[in-house]
Amino acid sequence: MLNLLNKSKSILIPALRNTTVRSTHDAVKEATPLVEVAAPTPPLILPQNWSQYEPVNRSLARQVWIENIDAIPERKLGLIELHPDVFATQPRVDVIQENVEWQRKYRYVSFAHTKTRAEVRGGGRKPWPQKGMGRARHGSIRSPLFRGGGVAHGPRSPTTHFYMLPFFKRVMGLTATLSVKLAQDDLHIIDSVDVPTRDPEFFKELIKERNWGPSVLIVDKDDIFPENICYATDALGYVNLMPSYGLNIYSMLKHDTLVLTVNAVKHIEERLLYQMNRTDATAKGGKFKLDQV
Amino acid sequence: MAHLRESAEKALKMLRTLPRVQLSNIRPNPNSKKNTKRGRAQHSGDKHGAGNKGSGQRQNYMRLGYETGNNPFYLRFPYEPYYKGHHLRRQYPPISLLQLQVLLDTNRIDSKQPIDITTLCNSGLLRLQPASMEYGFQLTDEGIDRFKAKICIEVQHAKESVIAAIERNGGVIRTAYYDPRSLQAMVNPSKWFEKGVPIPKRLLPPQDAVEYYTSAKNRGYLADPEEISKERLVLAQKYGYELPRIEDDPDYEMLISQKDARQIFYGLEPGWVIGLKDKLIIKSKSLPEEQANREEKS
Repeated sequence: MLNLLNKSKSILIPALRNTTVRSTHDAVKEATPLVEVAAPTPPLILPQNWSQYEPVNRSLARQVWIENIDAIPERKLGLIELHPDVFATQPRVDVIQENVEWQRKYRYVSFAHTKTRAEVRGGGRKPWPQKGMGRARHGSIRSPLFRGGGVAHGPRSPTTHFYMLPFFKRVMGLTATLSVKLAQDDLHIIDSVDVPTRDPEFFKELIKERNWGPSVLIVDKDDIFPENICYATDALGYVNLMPSYGLNIYSMLKHDTLVLTVNAVKHIEERLLYQMNRTDATAKGGKFKLDQV
Repeated sequence: MAHLRESAEKALKMLRTLPRVQLSNIRPNPNSKKNTKRGRAQHSGDKHGAGNKGSGQRQNYMRLGYETGNNPFYLRFPYEPYYKGHHLRRQYPPISLLQLQVLLDTNRIDSKQPIDITTLCNSGLLRLQPASMEYGFQLTDEGIDRFKAKICIEVQHAKESVIAAIERNGGVIRTAYYDPRSLQAMVNPSKWFEKGVPIPKRLLPPQDAVEYYTSAKNRGYLADPEEISKERLVLAQKYGYELPRIEDDPDYEMLISQKDARQIFYGLEPGWVIGLKDKLIIKSKSLPEEQANREEKS
């Protein structure tokens, strides 16, 4: 694999055809003399071949730097191509809003409760005779008309607000949010999630140095992260770790910066492209049934 | 689709200069949210849009179709004979040759395999509802001029010109009958196999369909193969094309593959039980009828 990358002919991205391993290494030496780079690795140029889901127009594929997380100053380790149908779709802010609203509401249970006229204590007897009093006619002192009476159409506890947003709206929400993040320079891609220290200061410095938004969401493929990063981010409430299966629109918007590992990017792309190109879409897009075998 | 691409690119470019999209600055589409609160007081309250007295306020409406006493429209006509028995007639939902061509070109259907109802339903784009008296697909002639695929297809009805179009390209077309129970199995095989029921025998066509399926002109599955070859020549002469020799075709084996009259699935015989989970086929030993059949064949 390394030999393959050493030959300039095999570099598929036109812009990088003239670069070689050596030139990258020199650039690193010139830019940051203080950084302790372990060993010069060849550039991680990852032109993606989406075998089944080839984009209609290859030139619309986005190319994003792969950055390092093992030191505070930024180093570009390579390049990755991102599928336009996932990272360069129409930024449907209305669909994003629907997804956020759904994420907020579907779990929400309202515990607000009022008593009806039947539940309010008392009010069984007719307060005064029907006729002859010169007063309005009433049957019970706890009717909604009365002060202290029951509430006619009040909240009844517990009230669920569960509903399912149509499946493909949720898929579209994910692709739209990823596109928005990339377009607004809030998406960064790192090679791996290995951090040198357990010190939370490392992250604080890193975020400040690289001008990442104060809150950062770090997404990797697996749900088991290395020790160091877990300890480092535990102390910081605004830097959070997430496996790629937990990726959701609310979290992506809540955190200013989204940081994905290369593995996470590949997994997310593969899953989203599968869902967007599945042939049994009609079955999936139908009414959501709660109890299904 | 070019304009959609361009608008997406333009929108993403605009976003670069706009503030960061956050939870605090997104809002729903205009007019998508309706006020769910109950009206109070002067507006929407008091009579709550029900007006004064009458059936409107008292929810005591006249029945649907009632015309305040005169003979209503829905009772004026005692019977409509033109729809008599329509609920019992067999229906054949159409597939145009154009649709078929598109499916083949976009790799939704493999032209290197024989095509039948199961293939068409598995593509996910065509649905058949045997319960609604749908007995299979019919091939229509829309897009006949642009049809250029060589396929082995089995439908339930096809016009002469459609048969010609398929045979002209070196393909093979047959019309076959499937009874509703077999159709139910064919339309969603995996769901049907989950029942664990042995594959049934396909029944023979009803009286009024026998003539159609035994005639070589219609390429019926019960027709004599000799007759069918003759009719192929006749059709070629009628429509003025040279009949390609399928014997010389590299896909000859696939093109001549035909199901038995009692067979529902390619490669599977009636009486077999398919175990999807364990990927097994269970064939019965005990039934004397089947044993006899097997002995006959061997």
